Amino acid sequence: MSIFREHKSRVDRAASDRSRHKKKIEKAIKESIRDVVAEESIIGQNGKKKIRIPIRGIKEYRFIYGNNEINKNVGAAGQHSIRRGQKIGKKRAAGAQGQGAGEAGNQPGEEYYDVEISLEELAEYLFNDLELPDLEKKKFRFISQESIKRKGYRFKGIRPRLSKKETIKRKIRRKKKAIASGTYDPSSGERFPFHKDDLKYHHIKPKHKEHSSAVVFFLMDTSGSMTKERKYLARSFFFLLYQFLRYKYEKIEVVFISHSTEAQRVNEDDFFRKGAVGGTLVSSALDMALDIIDKEYHPSSWNLYTVYCGDGENWSSDNEKCIDLFKQIKEMSQLTGYCEINEHYKGMADEVDEDDVFHGTAWGTFSAWKNEEMDNLWAKLNPLCDNTFKKIMIGESEHIWRAFHSLFGGKNN
Amino acid sequence: MSDWTTKDLLYWDDKISRIAEDLGLDWYPIDYEIIDYQEMLGAMAYTGLPTHYRHWSYGKEYERTHTLYNMGQTGLPYEMIINSNPSIAYLMRENPLHTHILTMAHCVGHSDFFKNNRMFEDTMPHDIIDKFRAASKYVRKLIEDPSIGINQVENILDAAHSIKYQVPRYPGIKYKTHSELLELEKTKMNQDPKYKPNLEKVPLIPEYNLLKFIAEHSVHLKEWERNLILIVEESSSYFIPQALTKIMNEGWACTIHYKIINELNLPDRLHLPFIKLHNQVIRPHLGQINPYHLGYKLFEKIIEEYGFEEALALREIHNDITFLRFHLDEKFMQDINYFSYSFKKDKKSITIDEISDEQGWESVRDELINNTGLNRIPIVYIDEIEKNNTLSIIHEHDGRDLDLKYSEKVFNYIKRLWRDEVKLISQVENEIWEF
Repeated sequence: MSIFREHKSRVDRAASDRSRHKKKIEKAIKESIRDVVAEESIIGQNGKKKIRIPIRGIKEYRFIYGNNEINKNVGAAGQHSIRRGQKIGKKRAAGAQGQGAGEAGNQPGEEYYDVEISLEELAEYLFNDLELPDLEKKKFRFISQESIKRKGYRFKGIRPRLSKKETIKRKIRRKKKAIASGTYDPSSGERFPFHKDDLKYHHIKPKHKEHSSAVVFFLMDTSGSMTKERKYLARSFFFLLYQFLRYKYEKIEVVFISHSTEAQRVNEDDFFRKGAVGGTLVSSALDMALDIIDKEYHPSSWNLYTVYCGDGENWSSDNEKCIDLFKQIKEMSQLTGYCEINEHYKGMADEVDEDDVFHGTAWGTFSAWKNEEMDNLWAKLNPLCDNTFKKIMIGESEHIWRAFHSLFGGKNN
Repeated sequence: MSDWTTKDLLYWDDKISRIAEDLGLDWYPIDYEIIDYQEMLGAMAYTGLPTHYRHWSYGKEYERTHTLYNMGQTGLPYEMIINSNPSIAYLMRENPLHTHILTMAHCVGHSDFFKNNRMFEDTMPHDIIDKFRAASKYVRKLIEDPSIGINQVENILDAAHSIKYQVPRYPGIKYKTHSELLELEKTKMNQDPKYKPNLEKVPLIPEYNLLKFIAEHSVHLKEWERNLILIVEESSSYFIPQALTKIMNEGWACTIHYKIINELNLPDRLHLPFIKLHNQVIRPHLGQINPYHLGYKLFEKIIEEYGFEEALALREIHNDITFLRFHLDEKFMQDINYFSYSFKKDKKSITIDEISDEQGWESVRDELINNTGLNRIPIVYIDEIEKNNTLSIIHEHDGRDLDLKYSEKVFNYIKRLWRDEVKLISQVENEIWEF
């Protein structure tokens, strides 16, 4: 009658469709990450920390009826007694979806995957298959270091590499042989000295190691004009940058310098939370950065990244100095960024050619609208602009990603 | 360790078959594939078909079922059979013998239903597997074709899947071709000189088969894109009868397995767990419709009132909608204790509208029928290709408004396939709505 077939080998039929689905989920993660980014603390987190991100399931849209009063559902009450008008909550309805129509469901159930990912994975999602191959390689420098490693023993060598242990071992072996063959009698009290042949030396091999470390200087204007919103944008941008560099380098350190008329080296918390009042002297922060670089992070062993974030205003008298300092920093750094955060750019970036927004001059005069004492640095920095010095405009969170790409020369995503 | 060998399965299969024959059942031969849990999940993701074209949605389905079983929300799968000749069914290696016996008896019921219910007349069970295999090969070829690739294939499949239920809902009807319709109109015009239909109109009468119409009438689609759309259409038509008879089909299979097993005279060690499993399968699901429960109860009532012969006759001629319309009565509705409910915007909660008492049972019944099978899926049809190749689509509003967000997405998918202007007309809160 019927036939029974045992499957001997297992076939995972759905494997390729699952991996395809997974790719779609990953894409969704990437899209949500941009919202998450701004919420997270930049440092003080090791890569293991988990972040929960709700990801909307990949929907399959079709014509369905809306979730409203005209569209009623039917369900069983089992043994329960029920009455008209009785509230049965929200969850019940969610569970009732997709019943009765075979595989054809009815209601637009929100499917959420709560994905838990570590900061490490987050960085990978963010950067891995985005445009890394397109990034300009020279912006990352790997410092090659030579270290020495012991490897085995040799009969020849210099005195400092003499291996006492191996030498003694050989002497003992020789002594025992001598006793066995009767050429030496230990009870005679005679010394049994080292022989030239006993000496063994450590052998060493030089080892090349690609060693990379970077330090990021985050400089920010914390004067009164930097509102909470502006700082929030700055922070999101810094977070992305930090995560990205951390992903690229083995070792990374961060220096936060906030300034109004005077610069201060602070911790992350203070950097983003504490506000100050007063004027703006950009050069104070640049001075301090140079000073710290000089004392702690020599460019020959550190990759330097410096990003300045401000609202674009500076005392006019300070501008000349700033340009000079920026130039000095630029020469030592892998990459230097000057970022202007100003909500006046909100929505306007789309109207203008992107290149103008991020690199050009079209916006130069824009923020110099307020105070005659104040002057805008933006246009004045144009001569410095090249591959290692970039200007960035951020007006709203949508710009952050683009700004990031403009820094590293990848395509916009 | 399992408590059975293939020998046991053959032994019980033989007994089951004899009883089924005595009951007057007529089913396709069944090929049972004995597979493990993982393969079962795989089979379920592709609705049991041994071959199927690739699409990420099946991967999603796999993950979904996998998660559900992992979280223990659903029991392990134990039955899966497809409408083909021979019928292909799956037995999960990890299941104990009594589950297999129940599954086998259940599958005989399904196979008998596939073979006899008139909704399945045109499903061509003999060569459906070959058709799916050919489709699967074709899709793979497209994916591997360097000038096409997976993204372009998904682009079409995603869009086509969004309207896969927009196919004719009445299997067995022979639809007239365009030229036949023209003939008919001309005959009518000869008989009645006042009758002046627009013979230029395409389609002449409302066209419900969106996929087929678009594949045949789009002026922009490439050959492979048309073929791909028709593959989706074909697979959809194959599944429509199952969507139309879910309640009957499951009810019938449960009735049959229960009848057969009671006549098997199983020893207690097999019979008691069987009873437990059976009760689990046919229990009502709170706040939902369990088709196994509803179908089983209805057949039980019919057999009680009119005998098994009548049930055999009904399984041939009805689909779920006609079945419910004919056989749900006040007493049944009260016993089964169904109620209707809806989301109240003002209260931001779900409340019960009607219950199955003397005043309410008819309303609950009607809502139940509204929610049965394809009644749950809005009907849209192609009205006309207007000037500038604008495709005009109309939603047949039956009192229920469309979900706008979803409809908007589907609308865009249709545009992706048609590639000229598309109009979709519906009604929202008693106003005409054009997408």
